[in-house]
Amino acid sequence: MKRFTRAMIVLRAFWQLNWLEELQYRGNFVASLLGTIFWLVMAMLTVALYFRHTPQLGGWGYWDVVVLLGIFNALAGVVETVLRPGIGHLPTDVRSGALDLVLVRPVDAQFYVSFRRLDVWRLADVVLGLAVSGYAFVQTGRAISAWELIAFAVTFAVAIAVVYAIWVTLMSFAFWFVAVENMAALFDAVFEAARYPVSAYPGALRFLFVYLIPIAWTTTIPASALTGRLNPALATWAAAVGIAALGASRLLWRVALKRYTSAGG
Amino acid sequence: MSPASSRTPFATFRDQYAELMRSAFLVDLQYRASIAIWLIWGVTEPIISLGIWWSIAAGGAVDGYTREGFARYFFGVALVNQATLSWDAWNIDRWIREGEMNHRLTRPIAPIHEAIADNVAYKTPTATIILTMWIIASLFWPAVRIPFEPGRWSLAIIAIVLAAAIRFLNGYATGLLAFWTTRATALVELQFGLSLFLSGRIAPLSLLPPRVAHVAEYLWFPYVLSFPVEILTGAVTTSEQYLRGFAGQAIWLAIWLALYLVVWTRGRRHYGAVGG
Repeated sequence: MKRFTRAMIVLRAFWQLNWLEELQYRGNFVASLLGTIFWLVMAMLTVALYFRHTPQLGGWGYWDVVVLLGIFNALAGVVETVLRPGIGHLPTDVRSGALDLVLVRPVDAQFYVSFRRLDVWRLADVVLGLAVSGYAFVQTGRAISAWELIAFAVTFAVAIAVVYAIWVTLMSFAFWFVAVENMAALFDAVFEAARYPVSAYPGALRFLFVYLIPIAWTTTIPASALTGRLNPALATWAAAVGIAALGASRLLWRVALKRYTSAGG
Repeated sequence: MSPASSRTPFATFRDQYAELMRSAFLVDLQYRASIAIWLIWGVTEPIISLGIWWSIAAGGAVDGYTREGFARYFFGVALVNQATLSWDAWNIDRWIREGEMNHRLTRPIAPIHEAIADNVAYKTPTATIILTMWIIASLFWPAVRIPFEPGRWSLAIIAIVLAAAIRFLNGYATGLLAFWTTRATALVELQFGLSLFLSGRIAPLSLLPPRVAHVAEYLWFPYVLSFPVEILTGAVTTSEQYLRGFAGQAIWLAIWLALYLVVWTRGRRHYGAVGG
């Protein structure tokens, strides 16, 4: 517990510094907000184009898919706020040997590497995404029960855990493939598939997204909670997948870190 | 070796180009693992689109596109997109911001030639990889086979080269706006977003709302992707369609070349004034 408290103090200090730094670049906020709105509109138009030619995508109606799209945008916001500037920087640190400076600190290295930076402006993406989901939810005309709201909160947390685990896994490969600097592009590529409910894909791709690269658990499941498609069994499974993904990525991180020999080693 | 004075300018230029290509190719070879990742990144968008359209077309053809038709179309998109990608704006942005443009300006050859050599050295092998994948896939999956028509394939190659040239000049000229603004890459992203629809990246143009498809015809977007892809898939058939397509490519190539020349000449002067 003492370790946890200390970690939280460290985190607060880091993020406070970040916040002060970012306040100097308020112009970036407007630019990033406009960018997010633009891409959200493009994404919604893409869905609208599909729905010109079909009444449903994998059993989901237009507004159901938009609920999912908002969740996708919120998760992408989490990635841009915390993961890309933090653990996404790991391959560079490994290559340059800057990781030395992390390892000598009296905090857990994975914790520090993961949460060292906060690009606060991109939090707007999270807010905007959830707002789109909320609006689309109202359009579906459904009423939400307390259990569904709790299920959404839990499965959204699971989604963040799975996305985080995928990043830790991909970035840990940097310890083996030091020359590969664009590992994050692999995430961007695969995460694109999470824009649509997993049931909208043909069997082979669906298998890939559920079992091999578990992005099905990131957007489809929380959106299912909001659109009345989630049963208790599936919610339990989702929680198990989230915990398993975190555990596996922690294990991989430990194995990978053993390979680190600093720059030139 | 002959003294430099007796060499024709063309021979010098040719040798410089050969050297630029060689060094670009060697750099790429060094980064082959990263390039493999960029290749995966490049093909996921068409694969996802194909996945969705494949499901939509389960109940029958969508405006003339069967499942097999979509498969051929998006394999074509993956190939043509790889051959026509444009990333130069980001390089220019960095060069200008970090001062790397300066030493490039002192060279006897304009920086655009370095970029062209880079593009050719990168795209020739990577597009060949995608083409090879397509050929292998077609051995097992009849849906993605396209009929063997040497004449059509030759025209497709010409259209792809023209498309690559237009998209390159378009990206390069837009990127050069970095001489004036720090948000030039945002303009490239804006065009990239619009090209989702107007170039036919997300769906064949004939599936767009007619008014949107009509607007696209007056812009360069269809000529840099949709037109070459539709030659490959066989959607372009009449000589009138060919004529319109190639004429569109020629016009937009001329326009973006002219825009590049204007932006480059003025931008260089502007840059000198700021840094001087």
